[in-house]
Amino acid sequence: MIGNQNNILSVIGLEIGYVSGRTGNALLPPLYAHAGKGELIAVIGRNGIGKSTLLRTIAGLQQSLGGEILFRDKSIRGYSRLEMAKEVGYISTEIVKVSNMSVYDLVSLGRYPYTNWIGKIDAENHNLITEAIKSTSMSGFSERFISELSDGERQRAMIARLIAQDTEIMVMDEPTAFLDIGSKYEILHLMSRLAHNNDKTILYSTHDMHMAISMSDRIWLIIDNHLVEGSPEDLMIAGMFDHLFDSSPVRFNSDDGTFDFSILKKGSIFLEGDGIKKHWTEKAINRAGYTVSKKRTIPCIRVPDEKDKFYILQTNKSEYKFSAIYDLIRFLSKNDLLTS
Amino acid sequence: MTSGKHYSFIFIVLIILVISLFILDILFGSVSIKASEVIKAIFSSSGNNIETIILKFRVPKAVTALVVGAALSLSGLQMQTIFRNPIAGPDVLGVSSGASLGVAFVILGFSASISPDSINGVGNWILVIASWIGAGFIMVLIMFISSRVKDIMTILILGIMISSGISAIVIILQYFSNETMLKAYVIWTMGSLGNLTSGQLNVLLISVMAGTLLSLASVKMLNALQLGENYGASIGLNVRLSRVVIFSCTSILAGSVTAFCGPIGFIGIAVPHISRIIFKTSDHKILVPGTILAGGAVMIACDIISQLPGSETVLPVNAVTSLIGIPVVIWVILRNRKFSGTF
Repeated sequence: MIGNQNNILSVIGLEIGYVSGRTGNALLPPLYAHAGKGELIAVIGRNGIGKSTLLRTIAGLQQSLGGEILFRDKSIRGYSRLEMAKEVGYISTEIVKVSNMSVYDLVSLGRYPYTNWIGKIDAENHNLITEAIKSTSMSGFSERFISELSDGERQRAMIARLIAQDTEIMVMDEPTAFLDIGSKYEILHLMSRLAHNNDKTILYSTHDMHMAISMSDRIWLIIDNHLVEGSPEDLMIAGMFDHLFDSSPVRFNSDDGTFDFSILKKGSIFLEGDGIKKHWTEKAINRAGYTVSKKRTIPCIRVPDEKDKFYILQTNKSEYKFSAIYDLIRFLSKNDLLTS
Repeated sequence: MTSGKHYSFIFIVLIILVISLFILDILFGSVSIKASEVIKAIFSSSGNNIETIILKFRVPKAVTALVVGAALSLSGLQMQTIFRNPIAGPDVLGVSSGASLGVAFVILGFSASISPDSINGVGNWILVIASWIGAGFIMVLIMFISSRVKDIMTILILGIMISSGISAIVIILQYFSNETMLKAYVIWTMGSLGNLTSGQLNVLLISVMAGTLLSLASVKMLNALQLGENYGASIGLNVRLSRVVIFSCTSILAGSVTAFCGPIGFIGIAVPHISRIIFKTSDHKILVPGTILAGGAVMIACDIISQLPGSETVLPVNAVTSLIGIPVVIWVILRNRKFSGTF
C-alpha cells in the first residue's frame, strides 16, 4: 500500500511467536511492514492477536521465528543487546516500582549503553539527562522519587528515559493505558512532538482507534491473517477497519472514524434546525436506534431556535414538545409507534 | 548529582563508626582487660596471656564480624535487586540452607578425610566450594520459581518450603552418618564468629574479597536490573550474563560465610534496607559500598552486644542478629502492604 521510500525500519516476512520445545508457534503468517523516519505509527489489532509480541520482537526482547527486521536496510540479525539498545528504545505497560529511585536516576539509566563499566555519569551525560527531563516538562520533578509520581508523570519520566537513550526508533506498547484522559492526551502530544520535531520513529500500540486515526502518520493494522499498513485515511477508504469487528455488534463509522453499536434500527427521522443542538440531537437519536433521514419526512424533529425553546417531535398522529433531549429520547425509546 | 557531598559525608560517618565499633569490639570480651593493656598487647610483643587473648581471639573475631556482616549484607542487597523483592535475603529464601546442605554433604559424607580437628587448608576450600555450590543451586531454583510466580509473599513461603526440605535432607544425612561425623556437623551448626582457625579466616577473607570485587564490578548491571528483565534488556543489559555474575557473587558471599560461621540470620535481609534508608537512593554505586560498611558496623555491634559487656556471659550471636534484624523486616513487610511490590 505504501511505496518504499526512506524506510528506517522494515519488517520482511517476519514470523513472531513463542518457541515451545523445539518448535516455534507462530502467532501470525509472515508479516511485512515499514516505518519511515519521524513517523508516528499506531499498531492496531484485537486483543491477543500479537501486537505486544510484534513490538517486543522489533525491540529485540524476543527472538523472531523467521524473516528479517531491517534498520536502515541492514539486518539486525547478530546485533548484540548493546547495539540494539542504541537503535531502539522500549516502554510498555509494566510499571517500574523501585523505592528511592529518583526521576533523575531513572532517566540516567537511559544512558546505560553509553556509560563506562561502572555507569559513570559525566558532564556530557548529565547534560543529556537534564535535557531529556526538560523536554518532557519534568524539570521540577528531577529529585522526586518515581514511587511518588502520578501515572501520567511516571509515564513522562519513562519517556524521558527513552529520550536519554537517544535511539532513532522508539517502541511503546500501550503507552497510554491506565492514564486518565488528560494525561493520555499530554503523552500523545509529547509523542507526536518527538516524532515530528525530533525525527523519532515511534511505533506504538493502542486500543483507542479514534486517537490512532487522528494522530498517526501510518497505521499497522493486524487483522486475522495479515498486516496492512497505510495512512489512517487510506485504510479507512479501503474499508479495512471493518475487519476488526467482523463478529461483534460494533461497527466502525468510516465517515468520522468513530464507532457505532449496531442497534436494531427502528427507522429514520428528519431533523430540522442547525448548530450544536442539531448535532447533539442527531447523536442522541442515533443512540435511541434511529437514523437521520435526508429527505423531509414525517416523523420529524425540530430543534429549539430563537423563537421556540422546545424540541418538537411531529408524527403522523400528533405533535409532542420536550424541554430537553433527555425527555425526547425517553419518549422515542418507549414508543415504536413512529415506525410506520 | 547534586547530593554527591551529602553522600561522602554519610560515608565518612559510616567509616568512623565501623572503626570505633571495631576498637570497642576488641576492648570488650568475657575477660575484662584494661584499654591500656589492650594497646600494649597490640603494639609490643610481650607474649603474655593478654596478648594471646587479644591477637589470637579478639582481633580475628572482630575481623570475622566485619567480613561476615559485609558479605551477608551485600548478598542480601544483590538478591533483593535481582529478584526485585524487598524481603529477599540469603537466609529467608533458603540460600544459607543450600550452603549448609553443601557443608552437610562434606562433613557427613566425607568426614573420613575432613574431621573437625584436621580441617586444614585444602579441607577448608572443599568446605567453602561445597557451600558455594549449595547456595548457587538454591539461587537458580528461586530464579526458576520467581519467573513463574510474581507475588513476593508466595516466593517467601516457597523459600521457607525450600529451607524445610533441605533440613529434612540434612536430617536424613545425619541419620545415616556415624557419631564423629554427627558431632562435627552439630558443632558447625552452632557456628559463631569466634571459632575460626587462622586458615579458615584466610579462606573466608579471600573468598569475600573476591565476591566483593565482583559485586563492585556489577553495580551497573544491578542498576539496570532494578527496572526488571524487559526494560533492563531494552537499555542494553545482557540479562543472562548479569544473572550468572550476580548469582556467583551472591553464592560466594553467602556460601563462604555459612561454611565457616554457620547460618547467621536476618543480617542479609535487614541491612540493605538500613542502607537504603540512610542513603535514600537506588543507585548501586552508592548502595553497594554503603551496604558493605553498614553490614560491617551492624555485625560488629551485634558481636559487642553478644559479649554482654561487663559480664562473663556470651550470647549466641545468631540470637542477637535475629533480634535486631526482625524488627526491620517487619517494618519492611508492613510498609510493603501499602506500596505493594515496591522495594
